[in-house]
Amino acid sequence: MLNLRRASMRNVWIIAHREYMERIRTRGFLITTVMIPLIIGAFAFGSTFLASRANTDLHIAAVSADPQLAKQLQDELLRQRQQDIQSESGNQASISSHGRKPLNITVEGVAPAEGIRKALEDELDSGKLDGYLWVTPPTQGGMRSTFAFTPRGSGMSSVTTWLAASLEKVLLRGQLEGHGVDAGETNLLLQPVTITEVSRINHEDSEAAAICVSVLFFVMYLVIMLYGMNVARSIIEEKTSRIFEVMMSTIRPEALMAGKIIGVGAVGLTQVGIWLGMLLVLTASSAAVHLGGNTLHIALTGKQVAFFFVYFILGYLLYSSIAAALGAITNSEQELQQLNMFLVLPLLSCFVLLGTLMTTPDNTLARVLALIPLFTPLLMYFRVSLGHPAVWEVALSIVLTSASICGIIWVTSRIYRVGVLMYGKRPNMAEIRRWISYS
Amino acid sequence: MPVVELSHVRKAYDTKIAVDDLSISIEQGTMFGLLGPNGSGKTSSIRMMIGITEPDSGTVSLFGKPFSRKMLARIGYLPEERGLYKKMNVLEQLVFLGRLHYISASVAAARAKNWAGRLRISEALPKKTEDLSKGMQQKIQFIAALLHDPDLIIMDEPFSGLDPVNASLLMDTLVELRQQGKTILFSTHRMDQVEKMCDNIALIHGGKLVLSGSMGEIKSRYPRNRIHIAFEGDDSFLRHPSIERVRRFPGQADIILHPSAGTEAAQGLLAAALAGARVNRFEVTEPTLEEIFIEKVRETIPDAQGFVLQAESEQAHEESYQNA
Repeated sequence: MLNLRRASMRNVWIIAHREYMERIRTRGFLITTVMIPLIIGAFAFGSTFLASRANTDLHIAAVSADPQLAKQLQDELLRQRQQDIQSESGNQASISSHGRKPLNITVEGVAPAEGIRKALEDELDSGKLDGYLWVTPPTQGGMRSTFAFTPRGSGMSSVTTWLAASLEKVLLRGQLEGHGVDAGETNLLLQPVTITEVSRINHEDSEAAAICVSVLFFVMYLVIMLYGMNVARSIIEEKTSRIFEVMMSTIRPEALMAGKIIGVGAVGLTQVGIWLGMLLVLTASSAAVHLGGNTLHIALTGKQVAFFFVYFILGYLLYSSIAAALGAITNSEQELQQLNMFLVLPLLSCFVLLGTLMTTPDNTLARVLALIPLFTPLLMYFRVSLGHPAVWEVALSIVLTSASICGIIWVTSRIYRVGVLMYGKRPNMAEIRRWISYS
Repeated sequence: MPVVELSHVRKAYDTKIAVDDLSISIEQGTMFGLLGPNGSGKTSSIRMMIGITEPDSGTVSLFGKPFSRKMLARIGYLPEERGLYKKMNVLEQLVFLGRLHYISASVAAARAKNWAGRLRISEALPKKTEDLSKGMQQKIQFIAALLHDPDLIIMDEPFSGLDPVNASLLMDTLVELRQQGKTILFSTHRMDQVEKMCDNIALIHGGKLVLSGSMGEIKSRYPRNRIHIAFEGDDSFLRHPSIERVRRFPGQADIILHPSAGTEAAQGLLAAALAGARVNRFEVTEPTLEEIFIEKVRETIPDAQGFVLQAESEQAHEESYQNA
């Protein structure tokens, strides 16, 4: 029996080795390895480039009976931009909630007059103005003016909120001045309060850690999708090339499945390894560091990296064994595509849950969901990285997921064995159930 | 000790009974032909022999012991559904398949080259599998089944789709292997191939064993009532009362004698022919395996329904005999 098991392991290795060598030598592997980082890089560079270009100038008009308002507003906007730049350089990884502020800000004062709205609308259309602010004086005493902002296009809501904040300060400044408070004191009063977060667990700030974890999460998602589907395709290839009969006269279908999953997975790991290597080389050279405007730094502890690999491998094995099952019940890639929602849906629901988990990684919902094998790899990894799961929870999640992987491979290999011998139409659920009970 | 022993094996897929109460025994060092029309259960029987599927009832023994997967290392199998990894290099593919059969990569490569030389296909080794013709791929798969020097060779339709030169090359190879003491089982629906090569045969139809035994023994059970005659001149002897059916060709005829005609009928017919025609050739033979098979199926399954699978070849016969 031991002998037979050793023979099985040997066969798994031979299958995996073939699968790995055949895939790594293809042109497709070379192309995806080079192209995916290039596409992501081009996308990141392109979007920051466009964003920075779009926001360099802001030119608005303020229609108000008060001629001072435009000047005061412009000063206030410029002051706030200065403060933002200062706080950004202090906190490298933080991404400003208002986006990047424009460099040149001009606020033009316009006195309300007949037909002025028409003229301003024309200027908006011609692109000379980015928006105009309409100030309506109060109709009776004890009330404030009302403000309406008309931006040139949509997508300027950040400017609107920013204007509101600035106007508030302008008005406050005016009132304080009216009460005889001197300018220096006013500045001190209106200075924004910044809180520096000091993490109890480690010196890295948790926001940066969350970003790094999210990036790894995305890598996990990408690799599982790409290579899980490759496992399914590889099994379909086996069926269409009709080689399965030779294989099954030699080795157990379980060994074939396991070999394929390991071989294809190793290709995935190789590719991720190459990408990480590229990233390290890039971050080491200072030129690329400021590519996105923000400085990249990897804020991960050893524990987070170690658990990343544990859950990454578990996740890959789990999802690719599901993909293998999909491959086993379908006969062509078209049929496979109709079924790949079984792979995508659980992964997507993890994405949806990510928002709540980010803030409260230890609530009851998170604790329960992280123990469900389909969610374990992504969610428990999140909890381990950012929350405080009990040791037994971590252990249980690993045990449950491993058991699921073995179970799925066992079921899949049975479906495969019977399915390939009865090629033809795709089986329905009742038939699949019967196949599993077949020997 | 039989190398292969199926005992009352039965296998049903859903509603279709593929193999029903089949018992076969194959002795060491013999060539065994498994015969039957398409869909008769040949492939299903073979799959049970090598554990791809398990019988619903009955037992399979190989090398004198109940089947276990360990025995697969001693079996070479060429499936009916030919298949190789299309994108893979041919030599690497052979080495890969050899390693799965527990021989080292270097031994596998050496044997692959040796076999390729013997089967005159060495030039294919450095190519990609998808670049080979279908016949060449079949030869490669034939080699793959033999790389690990198996004691039992099982081939499902090994010669189908090959040209006569290559088919006889593979037949000669199998005969050589038999002389080396290997046990060989192959299936075919071409009865003529079996007559020359096999020591023993089993005919199956509709999953049931119709006929089995040694080639000579089976044939001796049947009367020598087939006559091939080549002649010139008067053909009125073809209406002789001892004749059941005649198939006419230019200057030749194939004759089946009436079962009741007796042992001397052939001599009587020859005399009648000589009376009006010049006889160039006169040969008395037993029925071909094909004819025995058709006859046997008709006996065991009297209703025409059960005979549908054979209808095509039977129809061809009826047509050619109508000229009589």
